[in-house]
Amino acid sequence: MTTGSVPKRFSIPIGPQHPALKEPGHFDFSVDGEVVTGATVRLGYAHRGIEKAAENQNWVQNLYLLERICGICSHIHATAYCLGVEKLADVEAPPRAQAIRVLIAELERVHSHLLWLGVTAHEAGFDTLFMYSWRDRETVMDILESLTGNRVNYSANMLGGVKFDVTDDNRKAIERGVNFLETRTRHYLNVVTTDQVFVQRTRGVGVITREQAEQLGVIGPTARASGVLRDVRVEAPYAAYRDIPVQPVIETAGDLEARFVVRLKELFESYRLIRVILEQMPPGDLNVRMPRRPKAGEAISRVEAPRGELFYFIKSNGADNPERVKVRTPTLCNMASVLVTAVGQQLADVPMILAGIDPCFSCNDRAVTISKAGDATSAVWSWQQLRQYSQAYYRRRL
Amino acid sequence: MQLKLADLWTNALDQVKTWARVNSPWVIHFNSGSCNGCDIEILATLTPRYDVERLGIKLQGSPRHADVLICTGPVTRQARERLRRIYEQMPEPKFVIAVGSCSISGGAFHRCYNVIGHIDEVIPVDVYVPGCPPRPEAIIDGVVKLLEKLRGAKTQSANAEQEGEWRDDNRG
Amino acid sequence: MTTEDRLRQAQEALSPWAQEADAPEPVRLDIVLDRSHLPSAVAALMNIRWGYLVAITGLDLGAEAKQYEVLYHFGSGAALLTLRVRIAHADSVVPSITGIIPAASVAERELSEMFGIRVIGLLDQSRLFLPDDWPDGVYPLRKDAVLEK
Repeated sequence: MTTGSVPKRFSIPIGPQHPALKEPGHFDFSVDGEVVTGATVRLGYAHRGIEKAAENQNWVQNLYLLERICGICSHIHATAYCLGVEKLADVEAPPRAQAIRVLIAELERVHSHLLWLGVTAHEAGFDTLFMYSWRDRETVMDILESLTGNRVNYSANMLGGVKFDVTDDNRKAIERGVNFLETRTRHYLNVVTTDQVFVQRTRGVGVITREQAEQLGVIGPTARASGVLRDVRVEAPYAAYRDIPVQPVIETAGDLEARFVVRLKELFESYRLIRVILEQMPPGDLNVRMPRRPKAGEAISRVEAPRGELFYFIKSNGADNPERVKVRTPTLCNMASVLVTAVGQQLADVPMILAGIDPCFSCNDRAVTISKAGDATSAVWSWQQLRQYSQAYYRRRL
Repeated sequence: MQLKLADLWTNALDQVKTWARVNSPWVIHFNSGSCNGCDIEILATLTPRYDVERLGIKLQGSPRHADVLICTGPVTRQARERLRRIYEQMPEPKFVIAVGSCSISGGAFHRCYNVIGHIDEVIPVDVYVPGCPPRPEAIIDGVVKLLEKLRGAKTQSANAEQEGEWRDDNRG
Repeated sequence: MTTEDRLRQAQEALSPWAQEADAPEPVRLDIVLDRSHLPSAVAALMNIRWGYLVAITGLDLGAEAKQYEVLYHFGSGAALLTLRVRIAHADSVVPSITGIIPAASVAERELSEMFGIRVIGLLDQSRLFLPDDWPDGVYPLRKDAVLEK
């Protein structure tokens, strides 16, 4: 046996191709046996250069470009951009438009949280929950389609208001859908907190303490699961949230289970908000006239996307095109928390910890090349070498 | 005589392979820079409302097990090599479905500096499904069109000729 | 604590270093700093536990001004504080604040690869968003960047 020459740590590359969902991100986890000892991330597989492209298009064209930053939270990107540009132009969208923006934003949150529930359950191998939650998610997709005409990228916003009205037929369909989803969500909340097998995968796993959450700048549901109240809808209400206060959902455990509970309880809050908006829908116009070029100046707009605070900084110099559009998405803030909390966890829990902040991913294409931790050279190990290492490893542990 | 027998065997084997492939194509999905709107619709086609598993389609994790590559999004500079590598890792015959406007033309992102183009500039594509994003029904229609194409395919990829040209163009 | 109180508290904490102060909106406060004072100003904010770092924005002020501006946005409730640091094109260097806020590392890496602004004291300088084969010396968000497809 040549145990002396066998490296004690491997690095396992995960991504960028993975079958579950979304962004192709690349992670490198160094492991000692099954325990993660270090983690790095390489983004940029989906970097398209939107901020630069936004400088070369006019204000209206940008609405469609920025809506396509993310297909899941497309509406909230467009809302943040519209609110910022309206601030620059000194225009305020009519109350009915603000209410419809919030209505669609809450429906989008419902679709996003149900999507997340399914995908994260899938990472745990709980495909039954995945299939059930995605089946129920179709209810909210139908509602969004009947309202806006599209299932994804709704294009409901325009500068100065919204394009679609909510009719009485819509209202009835939404109420029916929300009632159904409420019963289902209650069932899911019961499942994720009582199912023994599932709870073993989530309780006490990937804990982010309150102090860590504050230090790492974690935002959104991930922060709220660690007892840190960061919700723009509550702290700095915008659009119709100024008239309809949001009750924040806070959990203190900071583990994966708390992240499930926070998101599921937020669904109930969303259902309540949807009902209140439908009841108190103000009458009036859907949009106001916007000048073609907003005045020179800077505007900051912050909104609460399903994953956390979304930040837009827009600078105008009075021309046809914006001078600068800066977008800070919630995942960028939460990514650091994954790299910190993954250390010391079992490798098998890493997919769930990653999915826990809601950039989804699965790790099917692991063990392609194995690079030695500590130096940059990577070597492909033969089956024989891997076998020898595993035997030596377990012999040492016995 | 011997030669004839061998031909017979190859023919029979081809038929069995095509039968198996058409009945159960395994797909792999890669996002090379999409906004993930198409990705969630692809996932929606796999889940109970649309359920492409009833057509025998199964989402696979590894390119080495897959017959069909479903691509979404424009191709970014960083993802280009990965896309090519995943395509090359797939066993022959292999087929590609490009889903969404960006994968066909670059779509909303055609002016972005880090987008080098659409899918068929990097790998050959068999079926295009337009839309931003396409509805799950449209994706299923694309898959069915591919299955029809598979029926005619032999041991070689239906676009082997095109692929040869593409290889010549992209080498060197 | 109301938003005005929070902003006043921040202004008092930053008064030793503030060169100019401005309130573009009721909930916002912009403070112009010299770059050498940035780490002490950020440390002062963190010492009184004022909010969290929301984002770092880079701005290219163009060929005439020959300056970049780096904006550090901090949020606390509805209050939004922006520390503005101006640097010349010819001397585009800022100190890192990762010693005080480790989570700023991602934002600083983005700043340095998009604008070519050197961040002194940032440990991990590797690429985050741009591709591996991206040419050296091309910084896409500079106004004079020549970008080929």
